[in-house]
Amino acid sequence: MEAWIVFARGPLFRLCFSIMVLGLARVLWLTGIGIIEAYGRSDDRALAYREIFRQTLGWALPVGRAGRARPLYSLTSVLFHLGLLLVPLLLQAHVRLWQSVIGIAWPVLPAAAADGLTLLMLVTAVGLFAGRLADRRSRAISRLQDYVWPLLLAVPFVSGFACANLTLAPLTYQAGMLLHLLSADAVMFLLPFTKITHCVLQPLSQLVTAVAWKFVPEAGDRVAATLGFADRPSWAERSRLGGPHS
Amino acid sequence: MPGAPLTEAERARAFALPKKPAVIERQRLAVRYHVEDFDVRDRPRRFLEAFAAILKHTNYRVALDHYARISTKCARCAVKCQIHEATGDDRDIPCWRSELLLAVYRRHFTISGILRGRILGDPGLTDETVAEMADTFYDCTACRRCHFECPMGVDHGLVTHLGRYVLSEIGIVPRALAVSTREQLLGASGNTSAIPVPALLDSLEFLSEEMQDEKHIAIPFPVDQEGAEYLFLPAVSDFIMEADSLMGIAAVFRATGDSWTIGTGYFDGINYGLFYSDQVLEHVLRKVRAEAERLKVKKILIGECGHASRSAKHFYPMFCGGAEALPVLNIMEYTHRAWREGRLRLNPDVVTERVTYHDPCNVARPGWIVEQPRELLKAFCRNYVEMTPNRRDNICCGGGGGTVSIDEIRPYRTAIGGRVKADQIRTTGAEYCVAPCANCKKQLRELMEDQGMDCKIVGLHDLIYKALVLD
Repeated sequence: MEAWIVFARGPLFRLCFSIMVLGLARVLWLTGIGIIEAYGRSDDRALAYREIFRQTLGWALPVGRAGRARPLYSLTSVLFHLGLLLVPLLLQAHVRLWQSVIGIAWPVLPAAAADGLTLLMLVTAVGLFAGRLADRRSRAISRLQDYVWPLLLAVPFVSGFACANLTLAPLTYQAGMLLHLLSADAVMFLLPFTKITHCVLQPLSQLVTAVAWKFVPEAGDRVAATLGFADRPSWAERSRLGGPHS
Repeated sequence: MPGAPLTEAERARAFALPKKPAVIERQRLAVRYHVEDFDVRDRPRRFLEAFAAILKHTNYRVALDHYARISTKCARCAVKCQIHEATGDDRDIPCWRSELLLAVYRRHFTISGILRGRILGDPGLTDETVAEMADTFYDCTACRRCHFECPMGVDHGLVTHLGRYVLSEIGIVPRALAVSTREQLLGASGNTSAIPVPALLDSLEFLSEEMQDEKHIAIPFPVDQEGAEYLFLPAVSDFIMEADSLMGIAAVFRATGDSWTIGTGYFDGINYGLFYSDQVLEHVLRKVRAEAERLKVKKILIGECGHASRSAKHFYPMFCGGAEALPVLNIMEYTHRAWREGRLRLNPDVVTERVTYHDPCNVARPGWIVEQPRELLKAFCRNYVEMTPNRRDNICCGGGGGTVSIDEIRPYRTAIGGRVKADQIRTTGAEYCVAPCANCKKQLRELMEDQGMDCKIVGLHDLIYKALVLD
């Protein structure tokens, strides 16, 4: 068991962490390139920077706007994210672990605050799962990953909380710690391939949308030419706007 | 605000297919709007070819890639969608609709989707999905209210626009839009209402005579005035349908003395390209540019029309010269500025009825024209009331996104699309609802009629015409 723990917090952690960082860097890079290319193709360089910034900041800290739609679910989500982000980054044991990997340390949360945030995260994770399940509209559009993620994210929090706060038999403690490490590793491994990429991509959403609305001069003609309508505009072709097909 | 649930009778009426079964069979397309006959062979493959060509030449890929990755399916958009509120149907959830196209993108245009398709034997896009998109993308009014509630910033209006664009490239487009566009870009009249120039001139002369009779003052409609400050382009249907709006606008110019002109070379602000095709969007704007250059005007002035204003304001610089393009403004901006400068006198004793204001999505949602008409109305309407919600969070008239031009779906528009709007207007108790948009006016008038309401739908300049003091 001990060897597994060493493996899970050593090589496996480094592998999963690297996959997470590289995976997120990849999607960030691709999106960044996409934005630059799209912007470069348009003749109109005007962007509503103030509005983009205002909306981006507004959704990064959605205090005022979360309650405008599905208020209970949205508030649950905000609190969930609070625990989810702060505990892994600011728990004392984690900071030591980060320090051993990347060599940098930073201020830590008091243990009581970390425990409180952990419990908050666990309650809200269950709340998000239940909220999704209970709402017909959510159920209609949800995929498997939408149900799995809150529960998967709760596993390292439950096991970590148990190991840190409960008096456990040594073997149980080790099993709990292994579960904690493996689930955290799994989260990091899966993260860049799922919707959780929003942790880095969400701040770019408003800009992405703004540049996507920047249409490219003569793109419509080129689309028509590619489809074999080079000699005439596509809207002139009755079989494409309607009319008896040839 | 939510009204009573949709009754069985309303649902049956709104969703009844007006097309003959034989036509549906022939076109393999059970949608409520009419389409002209088109090639039905091999539809999924042709859809994918059109999709690929569009992704290659345009800027949509960055958004699709982004939305496909981060969409979290929180269903907040459902709460904000008036169509979903009216029907309660899962297929009217904006995120559900967008996922139709995003799923095609993931499966056919991303490496992981192609690999997964191969491994799992997923055949990919089917004819049924194409038909489903054909139906549902025209259920959406593209009002973009949901965009403001998406924590991930997904713009379902953009996805709807793209979905319609791809469909149009394989021939699936409402006949009403296609026929008008063809007349505008290829027809002899060169405008969507097929108004010949002599008829336009007759109409303008008649309106001038009307104003002479009513205001006892000569108020001209300048035509083909080279070097004028403003080239005026209303939704062309205004020349037939909205006499009072046009007279109000002419009267405002009479009061300010600024130079403006209507061009006989091109006088249509309507641009259905915004609703279904980037190529149409650009070609229409090229006509605007050609007329502006012919008459050597300094600015482009769009009449009371939301989509015409947005398609010119937002896209004219993109297609017609970037930073060098002529400035575009809406008539409400012009009138508001003139009033602020003290160049207009409005009599506060003329309009005594209760007045409310409907924000057209295309000008209000971006925050472009929100306070200007309100300040004007409050200046001379003593009994002004607001709808709730309003401004950038307004409820669409229910005929947005080009759907108002599709007459055969009127039952859908007035029973479903405009249902929440009707409740909203009813609550204000207003006698006049100011809707400064050709699309909104038509939709709201039909809505009032079908919902048995007697609120009068007018333009902003209709009321200004009544109150404007001319020397």
